[in-house]
Amino acid sequence: MSQCESLQEAIGRWLDGELPPADSEAVRDHVASCADCGAERRRLEKIQLTLGTILTAEAARLEFAPLWREVQHRIETKRPWHEELIETVQSLISVPRLAWAVPAAIMLVLGFLSLGKWPAGSEANNYASVESIDAHGRNVALLREDETKTTIIWLYQDPEGEDENVEESAKSGPAF
Amino acid sequence: MLKNLRNPVLLFSLAFLALAGWLHAADSAPQSVLVTVRSIWAGSKGDDFDPKLKGLEQQLKPLKHRSYRALKDETQTIPWQGSKAFEVPGGRSLTVATQEFQNDRIGLKIRLTQGDKPLIDTTVKIANKGNIILGGPAHEGGSLILSISAVAQ
Amino acid sequence: MELSDWELVKKCQAGDANAFQELVSRYHQKVFMVILGLMRNREDALEVAQETFFRAFRKIKSFQGGSSFYTWIYRIAVNNAIDAQRKQKRNPLDFHETMDRVFEARNEVAKDPFADVHDRELRENMAKAINELTPEHKAVIVLRTIEGLSYKDIGEILDCSEGTVMSRLHYARKKLQDKLKAFL
Repeated sequence: MSQCESLQEAIGRWLDGELPPADSEAVRDHVASCADCGAERRRLEKIQLTLGTILTAEAARLEFAPLWREVQHRIETKRPWHEELIETVQSLISVPRLAWAVPAAIMLVLGFLSLGKWPAGSEANNYASVESIDAHGRNVALLREDETKTTIIWLYQDPEGEDENVEESAKSGPAF
Repeated sequence: MLKNLRNPVLLFSLAFLALAGWLHAADSAPQSVLVTVRSIWAGSKGDDFDPKLKGLEQQLKPLKHRSYRALKDETQTIPWQGSKAFEVPGGRSLTVATQEFQNDRIGLKIRLTQGDKPLIDTTVKIANKGNIILGGPAHEGGSLILSISAVAQ
Repeated sequence: MELSDWELVKKCQAGDANAFQELVSRYHQKVFMVILGLMRNREDALEVAQETFFRAFRKIKSFQGGSSFYTWIYRIAVNNAIDAQRKQKRNPLDFHETMDRVFEARNEVAKDPFADVHDRELRENMAKAINELTPEHKAVIVLRTIEGLSYKDIGEILDCSEGTVMSRLHYARKKLQDKLKAFL
């Protein structure tokens, strides 16, 4: 990229007075000595001048009294309730008011996280996880009831029996 | 956009966040757990289902016993990271220790003993307000079944 | 001694209607220029200017002086103009009428050095070229041209960064140069 191309944007900023002093001086010196950049400067100034002239001329024709009368009329006229409501809603959702979205978003997130805590029914989700089992040498079985997802840990009896009703106990074991 | 946040609104948001965090934290860390141990007798004779066990019919279905009878209910409040012993019919004892509470699930360490002899040690995570069934030891011609439920408080 | 804008605002907030009238008197032409630069015709610009001052009156109690009064009122004006433009469905050629009037007005402003503009074609095509910019690009170039506002002030009015103002201005000027190169 040539120096002129890289300076294109800087010329606009220089004309706007937005360059630091050192850069401003450098651009000014370059524009004074470069035909292309000098032409760029003239084009930008012409655009600005023309637009400014048009709008200034139009605004000069604006009379204050009729404008103020109309503004006063609007102030004094009670607006329909639905227009008031629309304006209130619009002011609430304007950019600065998006700050209200912060607590609203927090509420939503907390509500979402809390969903799991709300019981859908006492037996809706009774799922339990078994992290560890030590049956001290006995056999053990894990069951899960289909509908309620209830976890059942079944401890088998010691074959040699510690209970008097071993036979009964054996018969009463779960049939699975 | 940051510059457009009016100070009072920003303060409100921060205060709200702090409050929401406090409420959520309060909900997340229960002070104690209410544990109920229901001792149930299950037998292969007869066809009786104790009305006191209403609500457990579906849960006990896989066990395929023919009769069920409520023996004893005991409820205790166990402090966070604490433990309590429950008396269980047949000279047994059930010790329940609370471990952790996360995602609305209660971690418990459970030990069933017969006198001094451990029958089973297990670590489980059950749903808050849910239960787990532990059964198998012989009792009075049938089997002993324990329903262990926990509610975070 | 003339009261400052902020002193007038405080009086408005206290219920002094004359203070608000004074503020309108100070800014009505400048606000109208900004709006006219964004709108397509004078009648619509007048309507938006009236609405701007009406809304400013209703919101004056919430103005806390965090920005200058003129950036605050220009912001209301720009937002109203952009909203009105988006709702508008009329053709954008009414500026021709404005162009004819400019020549009549030239005699009234003969002493104004900036009145020495001869290029009729440039002026006629300027309106068309400006109208082809997006509202956001139109806003930066109008605010910079009319008021000579700093990039910081323009950024406050348009609720964007100085960098955004800079790039939008550069883009708008490039676009205008492309469309008007035959007349520049």
